[in-house]
Formats: sequence, structure tokens, C-alpha cells
Amino acid sequence: MSSHDVMPEMSLYQPVRVEDAIGIANQFADRGWLVGGGQDTYGWLKDRAKSADALIDLKGIESMRGIKETADGIEIGALVTLTELSNNPLIKERYSLLAQAAGKVASPQIRNVGTIAGNVSQDVRCWYYRRGLNCYRAGGNLCYADTPEGMNREHAIFNASRCVAVTPSDTGPALVALEAQMVIDSASGQRVVSAEDFFVGPNVDITHTTVLGSGDILTAVRIPAKWANAQFYFEKVADRNAWDFALVSLSAAMRVNNGVIEESRIVAGAVQATPRRLTSVEQAVRGKARDEATANSVATLASRDANPLNYNHFKMPLMDNLVKRALRGQA
Amino acid sequence: MTYMHIGKDFTPPDVEGKVTGAARYAEDFKKDGMVFARMLTSPIPAGRVVSIDASAALAMPGVVGIFTADDLPPSAPPANPALAKEYVTYIGQPILAIAAESDLIAEEALAKVVVEYQRRPFVVDPLDTLTEGGPDPYPMGNTLIRNTGEAAAGTTASGTDVGRIKWSIDQVTAFRNGREPAGAQFGSEWEYGDVAARFAECTTVIEEPFVTIGQPHHSLESRTSMAYWENGKCYFHGSLQSHTVGHDVLAGMLEIDPANLVFINENTGGGFGSKIFPYPNMAITGRFARQLNRPVQLRITRAEEFFIGSARSGMQGWIKIGLKDTGRVGAVDVIIVNDAGSGGGGSGSSSAEHVSIMFQPEAMRFRGVSMYTNTTPRGAQRGPGQNEMAAVLAPMMDKAANMAGLDRVAFRRINAPRADGKIGERQGGLSSSYMPESIDKAAQMFNWQEKIAKPRQVSATKVRGIGVGQGFHTAGSNGYDGLIRIAPDGTIYLHTGVGNLGTYSYAGITRAAAEALQCNWDNCVIVHGNEALNLPHSTYQGGSNTMFTETRSSHVAALDIIEKMKEIAMAEFGGAIEDYSIGGERVFLTSDSSKGMSYGEAAQKAIEMGGKYSGMEYPDNIHRTTQRSVQAMQGTGLIGVAKDMLPRDGAVPGMAIAFVEIELDTETGKFDILDYSAVAECGTVVHPQGLSQAMNGGGVWGFGMAAYERHVYDPQNGLPANVGLYQSKPPTYLDVPVTMNTAGMDLPDPQSPVGAKGIGEPAQGCAVAALMSAFTDALDGHLFNRTPVTADMIVNHIAQNGHNTGNLKTNTF
Amino acid sequence: MNQKLTRRRFIKGVIASGVAATTTSLWYSATGADRPAGAVERLLSINVNGQVRRVDVAPQETLAHTLRYKLGLTGTKLGCNRGECGACTVVADDVNIYACSTLTHEVKDKAVVTVEGLRAADGTLHPVQAAFVAELSPACGFCTAGQVMSAFALLKSNPRPTREEARQAMSGNLCRCGAYDHYLNGVMRASGQLS
Repeated sequence: MSSHDVMPEMSLYQPVRVEDAIGIANQFADRGWLVGGGQDTYGWLKDRAKSADALIDLKGIESMRGIKETADGIEIGALVTLTELSNNPLIKERYSLLAQAAGKVASPQIRNVGTIAGNVSQDVRCWYYRRGLNCYRAGGNLCYADTPEGMNREHAIFNASRCVAVTPSDTGPALVALEAQMVIDSASGQRVVSAEDFFVGPNVDITHTTVLGSGDILTAVRIPAKWANAQFYFEKVADRNAWDFALVSLSAAMRVNNGVIEESRIVAGAVQATPRRLTSVEQAVRGKARDEATANSVATLASRDANPLNYNHFKMPLMDNLVKRALRGQA
Repeated sequence: MTYMHIGKDFTPPDVEGKVTGAARYAEDFKKDGMVFARMLTSPIPAGRVVSIDASAALAMPGVVGIFTADDLPPSAPPANPALAKEYVTYIGQPILAIAAESDLIAEEALAKVVVEYQRRPFVVDPLDTLTEGGPDPYPMGNTLIRNTGEAAAGTTASGTDVGRIKWSIDQVTAFRNGREPAGAQFGSEWEYGDVAARFAECTTVIEEPFVTIGQPHHSLESRTSMAYWENGKCYFHGSLQSHTVGHDVLAGMLEIDPANLVFINENTGGGFGSKIFPYPNMAITGRFARQLNRPVQLRITRAEEFFIGSARSGMQGWIKIGLKDTGRVGAVDVIIVNDAGSGGGGSGSSSAEHVSIMFQPEAMRFRGVSMYTNTTPRGAQRGPGQNEMAAVLAPMMDKAANMAGLDRVAFRRINAPRADGKIGERQGGLSSSYMPESIDKAAQMFNWQEKIAKPRQVSATKVRGIGVGQGFHTAGSNGYDGLIRIAPDGTIYLHTGVGNLGTYSYAGITRAAAEALQCNWDNCVIVHGNEALNLPHSTYQGGSNTMFTETRSSHVAALDIIEKMKEIAMAEFGGAIEDYSIGGERVFLTSDSSKGMSYGEAAQKAIEMGGKYSGMEYPDNIHRTTQRSVQAMQGTGLIGVAKDMLPRDGAVPGMAIAFVEIELDTETGKFDILDYSAVAECGTVVHPQGLSQAMNGGGVWGFGMAAYERHVYDPQNGLPANVGLYQSKPPTYLDVPVTMNTAGMDLPDPQSPVGAKGIGEPAQGCAVAALMSAFTDALDGHLFNRTPVTADMIVNHIAQNGHNTGNLKTNTF
Repeated sequence: MNQKLTRRRFIKGVIASGVAATTTSLWYSATGADRPAGAVERLLSINVNGQVRRVDVAPQETLAHTLRYKLGLTGTKLGCNRGECGACTVVADDVNIYACSTLTHEVKDKAVVTVEGLRAADGTLHPVQAAFVAELSPACGFCTAGQVMSAFALLKSNPRPTREEARQAMSGNLCRCGAYDHYLNGVMRASGQLS
């Protein structure tokens, strides 16, 4: 059992241009570690559960800062902190879903330095994995949580594939709901992937939670105008109301016209390794009123096909309940 | 009674340092040449150390030494060893320490140590080892056997051994299913009254199983310590709740003459029962420093604080409660299986004691067995036994009251202890009890009658819950020393060996001396926290006992110094001692106040007169620690020193009652506490702000126990799941009410010179009980029979999906 | 700097590391002509409590470590060293952060304020400190410095917070003693809303 506590010796780079950062990242490849706010970095290193030769601190890169309007929506620099996100007038006015989600992350101090890029690319919180056990996600060949005796209250009820960890991100589901586009820079240029494709489950890549590979830097997040000023619902249910991860969270964006839901994107967090789009619910409520009756009509649709483990059955009714709340528009 | 100081707020002298950062804790001390020690901890839950190869680590530049179990006197299970060798009994158990010139080198060196372990079977649920054929946590068994007298609840006693108790599968199955395990063997039992006969008279009888999960103390200051040796003396910076009472114990751990130990501990960052006495780890720091001949800081990380920082024992139990048609509790029969972790004693008997005093059953039986498991050692945690029992008992008593058609508060008042109340196995008396009055006061504060009449359904998804609960802990002892010195300049030095664990009781108790001396508080200096400053032998600080115990010691020292001042004045002005009075920091002839002298003048005279007046002589019944302190101050002023020999009998009950109103969200299992009102039955209130701190802090601890905190161990590999703070889930600002309402009953206990009793533990017990009671009230009387009640359990219950945890399992995370 | 960085070019800039025992990991001097873009200089000037302090800081060193062990500012406590308790809270450019989870190199261009920096030059307590004394806010005191710094940061941005705003803003500071009510009273008093 590791009782390590001090930061291990390593080098530190503080590039001021994206291309420099990419160069350094490529140089170190798997031994380099990109740092934004660092709030999901130092614990790993202090615990010696993961290691790196070099930290590449991106905070000096001015081009990755700020929130600006674009022809089709807004662009959020990867280094924008969760506090900035939750306080930004533009985001609050048009995309309050994201402001709310960002405002529920961990604690004020973490939100003050934690970035949107870090929040979406943070690693899973499965306690076995965090303890440094050699599980599937750590490159090994077993899972400690998905067993008859595993302590798996916080784990996945959908789409497990060897690993049953869930996404811990509060903003990830909100970004999927908002059809955000993730801008990724690398030595071979820039590519843009949808938030939905940005997150990957264990069936795709069991050791990563996103498409980001070595030498890739998430530099910005774009949110299309499509969902600006839509009707939103966000709720995070965690044990503690501060410094905790969701047991289940729900992010919903709804285009409502004359009380009727024309289109919606409803996404649950903490029920599988990636934000889970509840497409069956989205389809079921299309063209229906946003009200109690519609909420009740979808009943247990969201949790249908769930595969709960020993201690996480509660996530099914909890997710269903949050969907109902989103649809009726109130707790 | 009108007091000059008692019952008035004041600013304890250490507060300013806490807000400016000047207050220093053990880890803030540095010493030239200091080296940094770090521990290697066990990766396996059970086994033995076969070999240690530290050659590569020791060859590293900057590494100065290694310390292993072989450097310590041998210790036999179940004593909790500072470093394990033959008996490794939990993951995280310290195996060795390495010291180096920097913390980083020490940690790098740990990674180069190769330890070969031999594994043994392990067990993390008490009922699994209790079952015949189940694994034992120690090779020689699974339970504590006491060879000598009883130890304090939750502490590891000397004179203990590891024995083996097993139940048949049928017995365990019955127990798991909420039935009495017929014919089962227990480790301890007691009984008073005719239980069967009283049950026969009862008109309402309930039987319930229950489980409470222990939780780590996680004091915010870990038990880091630093020690160095100079001229044969050990200077030890540590973190203890108590101060001088641990002196001889620590000296013994270092195998030195107590006169050669200086313990320094001005501030302690929380203890909650885990730092009452010196703990094993302290032996490493002092001995390693001696071995290396360098100052050693042994930093304890947060994870290590989880491992060695103690935890509450869990309970798995069964209880049968009978009510007579008068509403009186006729009989109680309770069985408790305690989870004692890999060391420590269960506190089942104390749990039963809570029932006995709070509801005064006419007859009662307790049977218990304390099982070891391969989990962290357990020890006293804020009301060990009583508070977890308060938690599960409250909803059961609500159920019984409701079945009997009684108002829940009226029912508690009928059964509450009065001044003639009795407690526990021996049915001994109480020093005082104003519990019925306290219930009335709290009910009025909370507006019980109005609240209880409110509809439970608040909205389609919100339900209201109204809860009430009580807490108790014995809160007083006696026989410690008081020490006061008045300097010729008139400054009054109030010496106390009471530790500063954050309750300000160290300061509160000296107010009793100032009260007796009728002196200006600005002329008083509290001397504490550093044995180089000459401290008396004072009480241990656990069990809420400081206020009662040490107001007595303070008082007797003040009486001694007043008598001496009168004698000094007599020598000057003649007459008899009865002819003298004190006032305005003068001693004078009552008949002619011009014939007298100031306290400072008396001190000057004392130096001139010598003998007992200036500490050249002292009573022979005071403790050696106090004697050494007096010797060191000889001739420096007027010395007042005395051992508390005031009369005392019966248990000193600290008690509290709390009311909670919650709004519970039936769709998420989350709740808000809308009202928290609690009254402390703590005798006279000495320090209102301090009482408020204790009651509010206890309330937060109660909410933590009811709804958030718990130990979780993986039965597959013995790994703890909830090591860090975010996983252990102590309540945050957002998990407690926005405001809390507390008050003291403020009626005096006749056995304290200022009427004071302690309150630390009951402050938590009443809160956890009230919140548990509120959950049950909100959910149509549903009993979870378990702490904590987490959001997932509430969601499962409401969904009726059958997935709530049954069978008394402990690890259900 | 699109040139290919080779291992050899990297090594040119190496200066002695802080840990004599370890020679495997490397870091880079600012003065070497071949220094790769972005590699940090070890000698830092950092602004702490209004004073610029010159200090030798390892690349991976946390701000809490620098403050406590190099600058002697032990008022900042390490409760968990994992950014979970808030005892190490300091303020950097008016924002409260966990010093245990910040690299010192990350704040080299910022003004850092610790609990030792709040008192006025004449020794007068800062209003937050004075209010915390008046309300007997600290219990064991180990979390207090962090509570003071979060309250200090809050009142800079919101001089008259509601009690609800205050508890939200303070929610990253754990108090194991449970003195939350007293701290909130302190914040309300410091903002002139309680007397």
C-alpha cells in the first residue's frame, strides 16, 4: 500500500505556444503529461499510481484562453476555468446548462484553477483503479469492481466492457447535450470532433477516456448557436453537495416551441464510461409537451437495458427520476 | 448564582494565533539537522514479514537510517504495534520507517526496499470470522480476551489476549435475519433486574436487527511528530488531545525516566478520541531520533492517518425492547457484535449503557462479542458505543412509541433519567440529571407541537421528516492536580496540563480558578502546551470529562493559594484565617480592608517566607509530574498546588437532546436540514461560545455518521475503499444546515465547584439520533436499521427494488 | 520551435537536480543556449505577501511545499496534500486555490497571499481575522488558515455576501471539527452584516 506523498522528481515545461507544447509532448510521448489546472494530475503522481518524466504546463499559452463569439456560436479556450465558465455572462445567458454544470464541479478552489479541458479529459474515479491496482484500465487483465463481491456502488450500469468505471465529468454530458465540437491540435494539424465522439468507452480504448492520443492537445471547445437559449435542465446527485462526484447527473437541452418539445438532447453522467445520450427518451418526447404527463410517459425508458452490478441498482430509478425532472422542468 | 467569569464569553489566548497562522502544530517545528522519516506500509491484509532487504535504499545518498520492528520492544497481539513483523493484520499497517535528508529522498528510498511477506487468510466482516469455519484475522483467533480488569471503552487494554469465539451457521443465520442467536457464546455480558419477568409485563414489544459502520477519525492534523535529544533529554513535539497525563506513558514508550521527557504540544488539530493517550507511532519518532542522534520528523500522510489514525468500531446487533402500558420501558435485551478492526476493543457495553441511562429500563440484559477483522485498528471515537447506539435506537424507540400510541417526545420524557436515575450494569447513581427539563426546553426551542402537526408531504417529490434524539456520555472524573503561581508583579499564572484539542476546555477550566480568586481576567495567564513551562498532572481528555474534572482541580489549587495568601497576611496583620477576605486582587482583614496586601505583594512575601508558600515544600499526594513542575518554580512566587480530593460519587452524565426537521427528496434521496435545535444538559455553562462550538461541531459529526461517513473494505482483497477525505465524506459546509440553534440547560451539577459537566460526545449522539429519527418519520416509519443512510439506500427503498442491503453486511458500497 | 528535439539536445541544458540520490530524471536551465522552449528556470522570484522572494524551486515542487519549507510560512497547513480539504488554501491574484495542488512555478507571475500576509503593518488583524476571533470561529484551528483565506478571497469579490453565498464560497474548506456555523458567522461579521 503506497503511502507516498511528495511530488516525484520530474522536469517541467511551460511553453507559450501550442506548437511548442506539441513538440515537447511528442518528444516525451507517453512519458510526458499535459497539465492544465493540474487538479487530476498531482494526486496520481504523489500516489505513484502513475508517473511521467515531464510535466507540460499549458497555462502560459494565451491562444488557449478566453471565450469568444464565433459565426456559429461560441468558442471556449481549453484553459478557461470552471469558475470562468460558470460566471461568464455569455455562457450564463445562452448556455446556462454548461454554466450550471461547471458550477457543480468539486469545490471553489478546484473550479478556480480546473479547466474545461481538464474536466472533460480527467480520468475515471473507480477506486480500485485509483488505488493503483493492475486492472484492465491500468493495462492488466482483470476488473475488481465487476465481481460478486466488488464494491461497485459508483460504477456503470451501461456499456461495460471489461471495465465498469464511469465518467466523472460534470461538464462532459452538458457538452454532449449542446453538440459541442472539440478542437484538437497535433503535429499533423487540427481536427475537430464532436463531443459525443470525443469520449470513448472501454470497448474502444480501455486505457483512455477520450480520443486524445499522445501529442494531441485539446485547444478549444466550440458550442454551436443551435442550442443557444434553449430550455435546459441540469442536476447532479452526489453524496456530498461539495467536493464529490456524481452518482448520476443529467444534462438536458430542449428546443421547446409553444410548449412542445421539438428536439432534445438528454445526456446522463456517471452511468457508463462516457456521457450517455438517452436517445430513446429524446425520440419518445419529440413532439410532446414539456410537462408532467410527458415526464411520466417515459417512466423507466432511460434505464431500460441497464445492467446493474451488485450495489448500483439505485442508479436506474435515480436516472429515471432525473429524466422526469428534466422533462417536467422542475425538481 | 452570579459569577464573575463563569458563564461569560472570553477569548481563549490561542485563538489569535489560529487566525494569523502563528499557532504551531507538530509538523510546523523544524530543528537544525532534522531528517525526514517516512513509513513503508503493508500491501497485504494479513500475514507476516519474512524478510526485509533495505540495502539498496540505505545505499542511496541522503538516506540516514532505517527503523523496523526489531528496534522496538516486542509486542504481542492484540496490542497495536508501532511496526508490524510477525503479525501483519491490515493493509496500510506500518512495517518500517526510513529517514533521509529530504522527504523526497525518504520516499524514493521506500520504493527501493524489498519486503517479502507470507500471506495469511484475512477477513473484513465480523460475522464472517464469527461463523464456524470462517477465517480468523489473527492465527490464534478472532476476539479479545481480557485477562485483567476492564479497560476504558474503545481503548486497547494491557492484559488482553487473542482468543477465538465461533457461532454455528444456524446461529449466524438467525442473527443475520434479525433473530436472537440461541445458545451463542459471548465475550461479555451483564444483566440487571428480571428481564423475562419485565418483558412479560410489557404491552408493546419490538425486535430489530441493526448495523452501524465504523468510520475513520480523520483528524485534520495527522499524527506527525518530531523529536530530538539534548543532554539526555527528549524533546517531543506531538499531537495529543491530552497533555501531561500521557507524559509517563510516552516516557515508558521511549524507556526513559519521565524526568527526561519534555512534551510540547500547544495545539492539536483534532483528535475526537484518537489521540487521548500516546499512540504507538510516537515510539518510532523518539527512538529513531535517539538512534540517529538527529532530530527526526515522522510525517504521517493523509492515507497513513486513515490507516493508523483510528476509527469507530462498527456494530451488528439485535435488540428487543418492551414498553409497559404506562409508557415506561420495561425491559431491553440487546446483543452486539463489534468490529474491533485489527486491534482495540469493541464498545458494545457502552452502547448498552446508553440505552440504560436514556430510557431507564426496569430490567436489561447485554450480551456482546468483539470481533477482530483485518481492517484498521479501532479506538475511542466521540462517544464510542453510545453514539452509534443512539443512531439506531432513536427510530426503533419511535416505532415502539408510535405502536404504543405515545407522542415521541412525551415518551422520551417519561423515561428520561432524573436526579435519582440509574446507569448500566451496576445501576449506579448519577451526580445530577436535568434531562426532563432539557427535553422541555429543546422541544420549546424547536416548537415540537407545531412541527409534529405539519403535513409530511411537502410537494409531489418532497416529504418532511421530524426527528428527535438523545446523546449521553459519562462526563467527569476526579483526583488530578491544580497548579497556580502568582508572581510578585501580580500576574496570576494558571497552569494546566490539559491538552488543547480545539475545544477550548483547557482555557475554560482555568476560569474556575479565576472565579475563586475573584481576579481580573486580564491579569491571568494560562500556562499550557509545553512541559518546559511546568505543568501539573491533569486529566486525560476523552469522555467529555475535562470541564467537570479540571474545574475541580483548578478550584482546589485556587483554594490552596487563597489560604496561603491569608496566612501570609496573618503573619503581617495578625488575627485568624477566618478574619481575612479576598477581593480586588487583595487579601485583607475583613474588618479593616486597609490592613491587607495585593496578590503581588503576597507573592513577594511568599518568596521571602519560603516553605510551602514558594513551592519549597508541597503536598506529598500530588503526582510526580506536578512535583517536578513545582520544584522548577521554587522561589519564583506564591505557589498554589493541590490534588482534587473533593467528594464525588455516581456517574457524571453529560447529555443532550436534539430536534431535526428535514425535507427529503423522494426522487434523489437527498435531504436538507431545515431546522436543527439542540439543548445540552452539561451543568452550568462555563463558556457559552465554547458550548456553542461543541454542540454545533457535534451536530456536524452526527450528520456525518447518519448520512455520509463509513469504512468500506473490499472482501476480495482487504483493500479499504474510503481512504482519502473525499471518499470518507465528512460533511462540508453544504451538507449541514445554514444555521444551527443550540443552548445549554445551565443548571449546576453539585459535584463540580462551578457546576460544570462536559458535552463533547452527547453533542454528536443527539444529532445522529435526531437525523435518523427524521429519516424514519419522513418515510412512513421505515427503519433502515443501519448507519449511514445514504442517498442510494433511500432511492432503493422508495423504488422498492429489493436492493437495499440486508443480512447485516458491513461492506455494501 | 518545430525543430526535432533530440535527447542529446535536451541533456545539454541539465543542471544539478535537487535530489542528490536521483540521477535519472532531468530538468533544464534557462540559461543554456540550447534550452528547449518552455523549460523552466529553477531560481524563481515569487511575490508572496507583497514581498518578492528569491527561491530555489524544484520543477515539480508544490506551492505548499515552497511556502512551508522554504519560506517558513507554516501557517499554510497540509491537511491532505490532495486538494480535498482546503487547509492549504492561499490566494493568488485574488483567487483562492489549494497550495498543495499548485506548482510553485505556476504562480511565478502572480501575487500570492498567505494567512501571514493579512495583518496590517501595525499588527492590526484583518477584518476577517478579527471577526473569526470575535465569533470563536476556529475550533482545533488546523483548517483555520484556509478558512481565513477563502473568506478573504470571497470578500474581495463580494464584500457583502448572503449567508448562502458565503457557504457556497467556503465549501472547498473542510472543517473536521464542524465549526461551519461559527465560520459563517465570522464571514457575516467581517462583511459588516453582524455585530
